[in-house]
Amino acid sequence: MATAASSSSLPSLPPPSPKSPPDLYGKRRDTARLHMLDREITFLEVELKNVEALQPASACCKEVADFVVANSDPLLPSRSKKNHRSCRFWKWLCGLPCLNLSWICCCCFCCEGFPVHLKLPSCHCCRPCSCCSCSCNCLPSINCSLPKWLCCCLCPTSSSNCCKGSNCCSFSKSSCCKWSSCCSCSRSKCCKWRRRSCFSCSCPESKCCQGSCGFGNCCILPSSCSFQCPSCPSCCSCKCSCTCSCPSCPKVHPCCCCTKSFWRSAFCCFCC
Amino acid sequence: MSLSQPKMSVAELKERHLAATDTLNNLKQRLNHTRRSLLDTDLAGYARSQGKSPVTFGPTDLVCCRTLQGHTGKVYSLDWTSERNRIVSASQDGRLIVWNALTRQKIHAIKLPCAWVMATAFSPTGQSITCGGLDSVCSIFNLNSATDKDGNLPVSRTLCGHKGYISSCQYVPDEDTHLITGSGDQTCVLWDITTGLKTSVFGGEFQSGHTADVLSISINESNSRMFASGSCDTTARLWDTRMASRAVRTFHGHEGDVNSVKLFPDGNRFGTGSEDGTCRLFDIRTGHQLQVYCQKHSDNETPPVTSITFSISGRLLFAGYTNGDCYVWDTLLAKVVLNLGSLQDSHEGRISCLGLAADGSALCTGSWDTNLKIWAFGGHRRMI
Repeated sequence: MATAASSSSLPSLPPPSPKSPPDLYGKRRDTARLHMLDREITFLEVELKNVEALQPASACCKEVADFVVANSDPLLPSRSKKNHRSCRFWKWLCGLPCLNLSWICCCCFCCEGFPVHLKLPSCHCCRPCSCCSCSCNCLPSINCSLPKWLCCCLCPTSSSNCCKGSNCCSFSKSSCCKWSSCCSCSRSKCCKWRRRSCFSCSCPESKCCQGSCGFGNCCILPSSCSFQCPSCPSCCSCKCSCTCSCPSCPKVHPCCCCTKSFWRSAFCCFCC
Repeated sequence: MSLSQPKMSVAELKERHLAATDTLNNLKQRLNHTRRSLLDTDLAGYARSQGKSPVTFGPTDLVCCRTLQGHTGKVYSLDWTSERNRIVSASQDGRLIVWNALTRQKIHAIKLPCAWVMATAFSPTGQSITCGGLDSVCSIFNLNSATDKDGNLPVSRTLCGHKGYISSCQYVPDEDTHLITGSGDQTCVLWDITTGLKTSVFGGEFQSGHTADVLSISINESNSRMFASGSCDTTARLWDTRMASRAVRTFHGHEGDVNSVKLFPDGNRFGTGSEDGTCRLFDIRTGHQLQVYCQKHSDNETPPVTSITFSISGRLLFAGYTNGDCYVWDTLLAKVVLNLGSLQDSHEGRISCLGLAADGSALCTGSWDTNLKIWAFGGHRRMI
């Protein structure tokens, strides 16, 4: 019987393994990047040629200054001593002895586009102008074009009773609720948003969690709580420890998130 | 070189890459050197040489005349309508509120599908609003549509496609059908709201765009084909919507994230606010940095700038900071003329957003203290 040749005399072959495919994707990516760089170089060469023809910064500054001076601005204080004709007229008129013209003396009118209340000691002050409706309670021919932000409180009585909403309350301002209805609860009590009735929250505002405080229940979370972003609640008493590692978390995440900032090399966390 | 036929070896590619990078850096240096030689003055130097008088505010000249209370979380974004004095605000409480800024009434309170909202904007007609945030989508709400059974306004359109959070959004002026978003995926996108599809993508992996999160955008009101963007890559870029492949110009100078950009009222300049604590004014046509607005504090710390806007004439630059300050800068003379954060009724937290009313008569600030405040000219003067 013939014996097979001893296997010990033959060199052992490595086990078969397929060749890994050529990294065409990575190569294509690198080629694309090189293509981009070449394109950038072309653009920069063109820009370098054009930049020498640009006007200096002083010419741009002149354009800015000229534009600013040429345009009026309602937020700029005007210390102009210009006195428009209408202002001079009113100044003269209200300099006259008041007689029974108190309704003129205390009128609001337009001067340089802004309202001016004249206070003349010889006049009794008439009712204040209800400039909210932009009509002066004085001479009807006067166009009371007030800046609208000076509209007075909609409440007919003194401004201390004005609520921040549209309804006037008989309570003091500090008692007015955040919604349009007037509540009898003071500001330190939780007045649930959108509800018409007030309830008493037994926890101070600082312990009320978003949407969770009401009917005597305070949302008190454990002193340290651990949440993964973006599931951190916005509870003011909660301290979140962030375990987020996703690079696309924004830096302005409301609770805890990691963010990547160009000039910070590591991921950093901002916690609530 | 054809992308479809990579003939070079990996080693050759790397070598070419290094050589191209060297050439690029060399060109950038030469460009910077030439640009610096054109900076013969800054805006403050020019204004002083022209004898410009500084802006001075009296104690009642700019006052807080309204506080809009109602959000139960930090306010992140706000926008005015172009008329009728309404404001939309977005908050960490997961709601958008539409306010009548004059009467403080809440006209709409919209509960959002995703609470993590970061940006909101009004459409030019005021008929719809948009918002976006961590959900990476832009939601559109039509304010005239009927509410659902829970009393919520339904989403009328969702714009999907960003691969990162939406940091900023703005409708194209005079077009209720197009808006631009900035995103954490390093791109800006022009959307067609009617179809819900992207019209153009600015930047991205193989295009010359931002190399980090986009944090802010501002569209040119005078020429709505141009918009500026600010990014975590410390640059601001100018884009032409007709050419999405590459930014028209890149503006360097900041040393930190550019958190806010805003076009100057004349449409030929724009301002930026940054994590490095400075604001800057850049010229669009030349690329010049015209002015740096920096206020050193006694402790040498400069808190980051979160948001900026200009007054209607451009004379005032409003800048909100993380420490609750809101500086009013004299744009021409680069001096702080007022700090709204030190006035009566000022915010108790970081200023996160601000915006000017369309007629320029009031400024609205939004804060992490959950409130919005409206600042306007006090207007009372005594006639002599």
